[in-house]
Amino acid sequence: MTFEFFLCLATLFVIAGMGAPIAHAILISSFVYLLAAGQNIGVAGKVLMDGLYQSYILLAVPLFIVAANIMNAGTVSDRLLRFCIALVGRFRGGLGHVNVVASLVFSGMSGSAVADAAGIGKIIIEMMTKSGHYTRGYAAAITAASATIGPIIPPSIPMVLYALVSNTSIGYLFLAGILPGLLMGLVLMTMNLWISHRRGFSKEEPVPLSEFPLVTFRAFPALLMPAILLYGIYGGVTTPTEAAAVAALYALLLAALFYRSLSLKTFYEILVSSGRSSAAVGLVIGGALILNYIVASENIPGRVAGALVGLDVSPIVFLLGVNVLILLLGCLLDASTIILVIIPLFVPACRELGIDLVHFGVVAIVNCMIGLITPPYGILLFVINAVTRIPLGEIIREIWLFLAVLVFALLLLILFPDITLWLPRLMGYAG
Amino acid sequence: QDKVTLRMSTPASDTDQRSIALAEVFGPAVAEFATYQPHYNASLIAQGSELESIATGDLEMSIASAQELATFFPEFSIFTAGYVHQSAEHQVAVFNDAVMDPFKKKVEDELGVKLLAVMYLGKRHVNLRFPRSELDVKTPADLNGVNLRMPGSDAWQFLGRALGANPTPMAFTEVYTALQTGSVDGQDNPLPTVVDAKFYEVTKQIALTQHLVDLNYIAFSKAVWDGLSPEQQATVEEAAVNAAESARQAQLTKEEELGTFLKEQGLELYEPDLAAFREHVQAEYLASDLAASWPEGVLERINELGQ
Amino acid sequence: MSDIIRLLYRLCEAVVALFMFLMFATFIVQVAIRYGARLDALTGALPFLDPGYYGWTLEFCLALWVWLIFWGNAFVVRRHEHVTFDLLAQSVPFPVARAFLVITGLVIGIGLLASVEPTWSRFKILRIKQTATLGDVFGDWIRMRDVYVIYIVFLVAVGLRALWSAVRALRGDGAGLTTGSGERGPE
Ligand code: NA
Ligand code: NA
Repeated sequence: MTFEFFLCLATLFVIAGMGAPIAHAILISSFVYLLAAGQNIGVAGKVLMDGLYQSYILLAVPLFIVAANIMNAGTVSDRLLRFCIALVGRFRGGLGHVNVVASLVFSGMSGSAVADAAGIGKIIIEMMTKSGHYTRGYAAAITAASATIGPIIPPSIPMVLYALVSNTSIGYLFLAGILPGLLMGLVLMTMNLWISHRRGFSKEEPVPLSEFPLVTFRAFPALLMPAILLYGIYGGVTTPTEAAAVAALYALLLAALFYRSLSLKTFYEILVSSGRSSAAVGLVIGGALILNYIVASENIPGRVAGALVGLDVSPIVFLLGVNVLILLLGCLLDASTIILVIIPLFVPACRELGIDLVHFGVVAIVNCMIGLITPPYGILLFVINAVTRIPLGEIIREIWLFLAVLVFALLLLILFPDITLWLPRLMGYAG
Repeated sequence: QDKVTLRMSTPASDTDQRSIALAEVFGPAVAEFATYQPHYNASLIAQGSELESIATGDLEMSIASAQELATFFPEFSIFTAGYVHQSAEHQVAVFNDAVMDPFKKKVEDELGVKLLAVMYLGKRHVNLRFPRSELDVKTPADLNGVNLRMPGSDAWQFLGRALGANPTPMAFTEVYTALQTGSVDGQDNPLPTVVDAKFYEVTKQIALTQHLVDLNYIAFSKAVWDGLSPEQQATVEEAAVNAAESARQAQLTKEEELGTFLKEQGLELYEPDLAAFREHVQAEYLASDLAASWPEGVLERINELGQ
Repeated sequence: MSDIIRLLYRLCEAVVALFMFLMFATFIVQVAIRYGARLDALTGALPFLDPGYYGWTLEFCLALWVWLIFWGNAFVVRRHEHVTFDLLAQSVPFPVARAFLVITGLVIGIGLLASVEPTWSRFKILRIKQTATLGDVFGDWIRMRDVYVIYIVFLVAVGLRALWSAVRALRGDGAGLTTGSGERGPE
């Protein structure tokens, strides 16, 4: 490591550690780097603007944010939830299963775990606690755990970010996420069933079969959304970025015309709030682009690859090592920071070792999503805490078992690349 | 005396013929007084921003396209127009001719960038997902209604329209999926790109339209150049010319080989009515605003050099 | 906050909403045009639907995205809405937290303002660089510098805001110390 790079990292950690916005801290630390390396500090802004101005695929980010906000503001989320209760509410641990299934269904429309947790998650936690069968910590924990599925099943904002840094196809990444997402759902439901039996959670009043058609009918247009999105992308109508816009349009039409639950004023507020979060996220992405410049300037990819050749590690050892590292970093860092800043460091090494970049991407993103619920820094825990006021301590006490099965699923994904790559290959992926 | 560091940024990968030639021919030739430091895959400077980075002293070298130069100096659009350059040799003849001097001087004066040599990128052809039995491309009229992916700038889109197709802008990383699903009907690139990006897996034919004999220039910082001794300057220039020549031969050989490979993969490769295409495309350009920026007599001189 | 400042703030928010809406609408137009191009009868009857007229949509959306980010961060996004790593800052006693606010405010403010001139010197050359397609929307005068200028606005506005927050922390009104962890960027 050169001295200027060390200075840069030190500045970043000190300023960010003092609670400054990460994006601002990155800007300042990049100035420190450039000054120390004898370059001009104006380079930071130039690199950032150049990078942002060419990343067409990043445009999916604001559009997915709008789509998620529209669904949460309209009654789209409620109707889906009612459908899920009719479907799996009758089994032991019913609402827990509902929670996971709802996350699976919802993940087919939303690209963001935080949006899932704050939207549908909030509603279902209220239902679970009101039913009296579950502690509020348990309800919050399973909600947080199942929200991690959101960005694994397409569409997905983190996958868009990964495609940017690894130059892989978003289309194949999206396909590759489907089976791993279902696997995560499966292990969570299994754990829920096991805990429900052990603790003797009682069953819900089953929804009479006679009501099932009506509930399905009401939810049907919303359930069509994943199908429309997948058809749009794989049927050749839209690019994945455009699919994000179509998702937002469909949600808007559903909420405004079909369910008549969205006023013009609400729509305006959604645009403002989506704009706010898009701007904040966009600035972090821009900061990551500057860090990428610094990393390239330091020729770190070449050094990492060189070091690996010397070490003679096998691909599987490398994958396990990287994943342990990401899990640890996930306890402290934000997922978008890991995807944009840390993961690009390993991409050249993956190429060197012959690890498929779509496989690596899905594994790394699943890992980062697990990081969203690992204490102490787990955004999903914070969001649920913020929208439900359930104390963090209670949530964290219940999260460990779910965390364990998710890590188990991650291990399966690492050891068996076919779970990830089977679907993309079926659709013509050559990797 | 300290060596100069020559940071070179390119969107090309390290296995690209241009990258290989610069690393194997240019780098060693200047090693006595300069350290050649390549950055591939646009990892240092974003694609299309290299020239201004050299201008502001934040980069020393790049492989610049005529399209990029045309965003600063519209007259460079003549080298982005269809059927202007006829072959790799023709490009070299044009670059070394006096007709090129005002172009080079303007880039040097206004951007502080020296164009050292011209690199051959390949002949662009129309690559379609239909079998020839479904669409046999003979003249521009046959491309009517075909959604052809072209890079997203006006110059490229114009070329697509001049060919008779519906040009569709799209990010390069999305092209494979788009071809597979039919979001677009085809794309245009040289054969090495068709193979590297595996487009041959999702397309059925290549009409060898040769509509653009694509080129790059080796761009070099004038500020760095001025700091070199005359002998060093000569060495740099010679190294660039030799690297370009080495890359050119390698690329020509590769195109030859890949034609055979693609046929083995079941693609139909055939030559359409080139005269019909050339006539139609040149007429479209001459009638357009683009041609208004071309200095008088340049097109005629280029055509002369091609005979 | 005085009424005028509040009104200005609402206006800035409205600009963000406008950028967001235009981006959304342009994408929909782009998909519709591409899809419509397959129906020959449609473009035959309505020539203005020819995809050839809509090459600008991608770059227009990129420009909106860039302006949304920097306009938004300059005038609309509040400190607690940023992605932060505030574990440490939230667990230290009040005087230390206040010192953190003063230090980060000063460093960020001085840093960003000091970078205005060098950054502008990088953007100046873009006065002769044409955009790929924006001329179709805004006219021939537009150059890359005009697109990038929003970043300079961002540097000045955020630099001044950071200095102001340092001043307020020094005065001890503690603004920004109650950072909620609820509102954050999506994952
Ligand atoms: Na999703
Ligand atoms: Na975490």
